[in-house]
Amino acid sequence: MSNDMILEVKDLRTYFNTDDGVVKAVDGVSFELHKGETLGLVGESGSGKSVTNLSVMRLIPSPPGRIMSGSVQFEGSDVLAMSDDKIRRLRGNKISMIFQDPMTSLNPFLKISTQLIETIRLHQGLDKEAARERAVEMLKMVGIPSPEKRVDAYPHQFSGGMRQRVMIAMALSCNPDILIADEPTSALDVTIQAQILEIIKELSNKLDTAVIMITHDLGVVAGMCDVICVMYAGRIVEKGNADEIFKDPKHPYTRGLIKSVPRLDRPHKRRLYSIEGQPPNVIDLPDCCPFHPRCEHAMDICKRKYPPLRSFGETRQVHCWLFVEDK
Amino acid sequence: MATKQKQQTLNEFDQPIKGVSLWMDAWRRLKKNRMAIIGLVIVVLYGIISLAAPILPIHSYKKQVIDHQFLPPSFTRTAGELWYERIENQLTAMANKEGRGTLNEDEKAQLREIQQRIETETAVINDETVMVHQRRYVLGTDYLGRDMLARIIYGGQVSIAIGLIGALTAVFIGIVMGSIAGFMGGKIDYIIMRIVDIIYGLPYMMLVIIFMAIFGRNIMNLFFALAIVSWLTVARVVRGQIISLKNAEFVEAARSMGVSTGRIIFRHLVPNTLGVIIVFTTLRIPTFIMLEAFLSFLGLGVSAPFASWGSLIGDAVQGMNLYPWRLFFPALAMSIFLFFMNFLGDGLRDALDPQSKNKL
Amino acid sequence: MAANDLLEVKNLKMHFPIEKGVLFKKQVGAIRAVDGIDFTIKKGETLGLVGESGCGKSTTARAVAQLYSPTDGEVYFEGLDLCKASKAEMLKSRMDIQMIFQDPYASLNPRMTAGDIIAEPMTVYAKRGLLKMSKQEIRHRVEELMEKVGLSRFFINRYPHEFSGGQRQRIGVARALALNPKLILADEPVSALDVSIQSQILNLLDDLQEEFNLTYLFIAHDLAVIEHISTRVAVMYLGIIAEIADSAELYKNPLHPYTKALLSAVPIPDPDIERKRQRIILEGDVPSPDQERHGCYFYDRCPNAMAGKCDKHIPRLKDVENGHQVACFLYFDPED
Repeated sequence: MSNDMILEVKDLRTYFNTDDGVVKAVDGVSFELHKGETLGLVGESGSGKSVTNLSVMRLIPSPPGRIMSGSVQFEGSDVLAMSDDKIRRLRGNKISMIFQDPMTSLNPFLKISTQLIETIRLHQGLDKEAARERAVEMLKMVGIPSPEKRVDAYPHQFSGGMRQRVMIAMALSCNPDILIADEPTSALDVTIQAQILEIIKELSNKLDTAVIMITHDLGVVAGMCDVICVMYAGRIVEKGNADEIFKDPKHPYTRGLIKSVPRLDRPHKRRLYSIEGQPPNVIDLPDCCPFHPRCEHAMDICKRKYPPLRSFGETRQVHCWLFVEDK
Repeated sequence: MATKQKQQTLNEFDQPIKGVSLWMDAWRRLKKNRMAIIGLVIVVLYGIISLAAPILPIHSYKKQVIDHQFLPPSFTRTAGELWYERIENQLTAMANKEGRGTLNEDEKAQLREIQQRIETETAVINDETVMVHQRRYVLGTDYLGRDMLARIIYGGQVSIAIGLIGALTAVFIGIVMGSIAGFMGGKIDYIIMRIVDIIYGLPYMMLVIIFMAIFGRNIMNLFFALAIVSWLTVARVVRGQIISLKNAEFVEAARSMGVSTGRIIFRHLVPNTLGVIIVFTTLRIPTFIMLEAFLSFLGLGVSAPFASWGSLIGDAVQGMNLYPWRLFFPALAMSIFLFFMNFLGDGLRDALDPQSKNKL
Repeated sequence: MAANDLLEVKNLKMHFPIEKGVLFKKQVGAIRAVDGIDFTIKKGETLGLVGESGCGKSTTARAVAQLYSPTDGEVYFEGLDLCKASKAEMLKSRMDIQMIFQDPYASLNPRMTAGDIIAEPMTVYAKRGLLKMSKQEIRHRVEELMEKVGLSRFFINRYPHEFSGGQRQRIGVARALALNPKLILADEPVSALDVSIQSQILNLLDDLQEEFNLTYLFIAHDLAVIEHISTRVAVMYLGIIAEIADSAELYKNPLHPYTKALLSAVPIPDPDIERKRQRIILEGDVPSPDQERHGCYFYDRCPNAMAGKCDKHIPRLKDVENGHQVACFLYFDPED
């Protein structure tokens, strides 16, 4: 893992105006992504992990959403301040995204070849022949059998797992610097999931692509990611290397999460550890640590102010009053 | 006990939780749509006026005063004045045609007689003796000297009633047919839907006209004819909703509890289609009013002395150059109603749209 | 059927016909969702049914509950074959067999209050005269049930959309408990919930089982969850049971190649272990269940497939050791 930083997200805030109030889906998120690194954004529903990535790609539907502030530095410019033209040249080309549901991410009316070739020609300016060759090459790379024939098939002729492979092929066809995978395997069976994650790992290593993996599955994160950001109620509450986070989780939420997942390799305990309460409704959250109603260690100050950043070494960061000496 | 209750309605961040049913939710959304609220106000206003017609201080809608034919609308001048003026203009025009500049003795006598009648003549209307020529016709009169304002209001009664009853009947038949088809599926569904297709393919208007011709021209038959042919779309829509809900997990849950078919349909399926049904009904009402107007235009609608907006417009077409108010005011009244009814319907559709709130 | 057995399923089949034609339909094939399974659940036990999509586990639950009419087979509940039971007998049995569903957003009628939803089973049976409870008694029990599942009874008049996913699932559990059932069929009850809520609900189900001596048929696709909550586990594939054993035994000593592949595919939240793992990656996708098979259902994807044996004969579940049953010719020969 080299130290070249290719993406820097600083203090990103994305709010949504709904009938019930302002939803602060992302409320001050900052992280860095380095070349070839795999970063995991872990969180449950309402944590803001998907909205963070949509914001990075500027795919937030606006209204009702708005990116209020922050910057996303990529290749020397701020993605959030770019012209529409410039950012369209980035998408699919330098930064690609694959989504959770392979059923709906592909246009059912177009052949796979059309969709693949469209992307390739758009960004790489190849002629039809060359683009088609590249498309077949990509399908082979993701392990689709008889790619020369199957490239002309329609999405509904593929199974879920195959479709996701096609999505990966499309996303990687232009050799992007960053691949954003938004819950790529949540809708797939566990054996297919294993296949897809293998492919993502293999290809991202081969092509030196950095990956941002969004998921709620701690097992997936443990197997795929170098760096992990744990999100809760629109903020990153803990950040660090995968090994550090799993061996020594500092934030009570991270600790609770890891403890409450049933594990195949541990002996069957009678009772699972569980975090009390439920994920917060992100509307009109007051200034406090959003985890405090569920936290075993909640103190008075946790109800009144959001905890500041505390760093441990170069890579570790936590937002928790437990680690702040002078409150 | 009261404080305990209060404690329970705070969430974990000590913010009060407002309990809100789905209807209240929809109402809140509706309130935000300005055009829809204006629509609601106007429609309700129309409704109130129509219902209160008998007690409103307006002239009778059916009393004919032949002398008051074709009087233009006026706030200030009495019927008498206008009548006098009209006859005077008529006579003057005739005199000019004959080449004279002034009126002759006969004509002057005619005018004096009219003047006399204006000052003294009375009539008995609704058991009251009135100075008939002192009346004011705010929106003018029609070819039989009947007050346009009263006729428009009473016409509105008929039109709105047709719209409402027709829509409700169509929706009712549609719900029953659609639910049965959707829920039972299989052959029954097939047969019902083919009946719908066949009737759909027939020329609608022709059926209604034939029906009216066979069973006679009265208001009840009119409602009936229109309703019988209009339940089709409702049936299709309700069937679609029921089919999509039929396999929902909460219906499966009900079946696994041994809930009877009847209860499933009425307690589980229909309440969840109400949103669609309400919107549909609201948007059907203008359609019915238009249909009736069309029939009246053809002369097949309500018959005298009743009026509907459509019949008023139909009567007014001839002579619309000379007496434009007869066409303009009924048309305006109807257009405003339809216009805002549509806004209300659209607003209801947006407000009742079952967007799942909790999926972020 | 032994005295301690609550549910016994024999050769259960659920085939959904594929029909062609418009008015006069002709059957041209069938989706063999469940293709002949046998299992027993003892009182107080939890049988976990695990498998990937299309394996037939959800269909099994619904066939047992008679929400679908099984194409073939027998389902014995307390001695009565539900498939052949009369309407009245089935109605009575339903009081003892209740279901919990997967989707907390779809399994509750959005137009009914929480109280009405939980009361419904009791209301329905009271109306039919099979349950003697007055309205007040029902209401009282609803409040009791809400407290039991961890919901404040002050929310009795709230609508489902005012609750979170986990809370809705609790309403579903309360509803399932209303009639004091003996057997609960839980169809992926935690799959749609957030991770931090999953453990809450699993603990709740555990506690309730102990308190009320319940028996569960627990369906899930998450092997770790199944391992945690089940006494015995059955692994399903394409409508048949590939392997069935006590929970600890299955995970320690998986026999069927599919079970082995499944276990190796499950991600474990530990970067060290994940790095060192050797995964068995299966080739290809799960085939569609509309073909009639003449050999092992797993033949196309099996890394240990033996041509000549596995493609010509169908292996049936056979007891290999101490109640550990497997349907695979690696462990016995086909009988002719």
